[in-house]
Amino acid sequence: MAENQPEKPVKSDDPVQVELYEKRKKLYVREVHGLFARWRFIAMATLLGFYYGTPWLTWDDRQAILLDLPARKFYILGFTFWPQDFVYLTALLIIAAMALFFFTAVAGRLWCGYACPQTVWTEIFMWIERKIEGDRNKQMKRDKAPWTPLKFYIKGTKHVAWLVFALWTGFTFVGYFTPIKELAHSFITWNLGPWETFWIFFYSLATWGNAGFLREQVCIYMCPYARFQSAMFDQDTLIISYDKDRGDPRGSRRRSDDPKEKGLGACIDCGLCTQVCPTGIDIRDGLQYQCIGCAACVDVCDSVMEKMDYPKGLVKYTTLNSMNGKPTHPLRFKVVGYGAMILIVTIGVLSAIALRTPLNMDILRDRSALYRETDEGLIENVYTIRIANMDTVDHQYRLSANGIDDLVLESDETEPTLKTGEVTEFTARLQVDPYLIKQRSTEVTFHLQALDNPDVAVSHDTRFLGPTNL
Amino acid sequence: MDQPIPLIQKVICVLWPSFLTASFATVVFFTVFDPNDFLAYSGFDISRLGAYTVGFFLFWLLTGSSCLLTLYFGKPCGIQKPPKDRD
Repeated sequence: MAENQPEKPVKSDDPVQVELYEKRKKLYVREVHGLFARWRFIAMATLLGFYYGTPWLTWDDRQAILLDLPARKFYILGFTFWPQDFVYLTALLIIAAMALFFFTAVAGRLWCGYACPQTVWTEIFMWIERKIEGDRNKQMKRDKAPWTPLKFYIKGTKHVAWLVFALWTGFTFVGYFTPIKELAHSFITWNLGPWETFWIFFYSLATWGNAGFLREQVCIYMCPYARFQSAMFDQDTLIISYDKDRGDPRGSRRRSDDPKEKGLGACIDCGLCTQVCPTGIDIRDGLQYQCIGCAACVDVCDSVMEKMDYPKGLVKYTTLNSMNGKPTHPLRFKVVGYGAMILIVTIGVLSAIALRTPLNMDILRDRSALYRETDEGLIENVYTIRIANMDTVDHQYRLSANGIDDLVLESDETEPTLKTGEVTEFTARLQVDPYLIKQRSTEVTFHLQALDNPDVAVSHDTRFLGPTNL
Repeated sequence: MDQPIPLIQKVICVLWPSFLTASFATVVFFTVFDPNDFLAYSGFDISRLGAYTVGFFLFWLLTGSSCLLTLYFGKPCGIQKPPKDRD
């Protein structure tokens, strides 16, 4: 515990209840080079490239991925999704969760170390920090030193660079929800809408705070996955571990010394593994929940082992089984099960999307009157009909209704034409001879069918209300 | 004794779970209800994006207050031990 300070003076006969605040020590993470650092760089460059590049891609003359919230339509490549398609989003979340379980079971915290936005943006912020402030030692020295104009200048430059990068991040984020080219134009001419402005700055500040300041605390305190991932671990899960049998007892020595003579293990206790750790743990203390599996300690330890002419792999990716000298089983029931579930749900969603009817009809009964009598003595109900052409081509539709004999449908729009993506609303009236209705409330069905394609058709049930004293 | 909880964790305990649930509630709510449908009659002149934003922060306020109350009631009550356990 770093500093144990009672929150308030404790009276002697109070039950022992002391609030302890552990003051967070700022981590100065040392830069690391090596095999896994290279992989991490490739993963991060790819993911950042996707994030910043995707909104600029076009598909059929419009943004390839646009979650157009103002228009309530999601464009994803050739598909258009409507609020009615919410179920696919749910399925997508299930697939994402299953994929996370799958990768956790196979490779431990692969997500945390290589792909989590928190890791990716923290890394890039640390990279900017190193470019401006210098390496770990320089940063620590500067932070201890008193404030001078130079320190102020360097710190200020770092924050400006961070904020510019964060602003670009926030702008890109909003670019997924409103067309990014128009957004860029409004941004340059400083003509943004109030809400776009708000979200750009809100997201920018969140990025700046999370990647610049909160960093590993997000993983430790905020991440639900970090808390429960251990439940998905087993003896065959890939983890990063220090080989205690080989490494201990630790101790410094000269390169020429024979460790056996000095009674030492392979660990020279240089402490580099703790300096490169982005969450500030010592991997030699065993598997800890703060470990995000980034393998920075593996890289740095390998480089030390190389310098010492010792075999590499004192800290390495391994499994509990392998550490105990037992065989590792990559294919387990759990792995195959998660894999099969991902496959099944994915196929299900894709076929459901392929088979969905690209037409929607909502019907609202006119609430102002239950029914009315026309001049001809017929009973009339009024409905508001809202239809949406969710297809990629224009269609003309025919509206019809049945449910009661001799039902008459009257509307200005019995054969509406809708362009692709168009939504329209109109009024329709159903009229029937009062002698033909048997009860107060009868079920009637509206049908809407495309004239050029009978498969593009939907039906909607509603009620027809008549006089009570029949 | 239980492990102490750092202040930052308490702040996160209030702001973060409420943020997650508010985001979820916002998505579900505005998937079902189009703000234009009910704002048309209310006299508020606000775009859909604005309605989503205001809606989100109202949800966050609600879920956040609930988290704050949980934190408050989660504090130990300071109930005195029975006398025999004293001294």
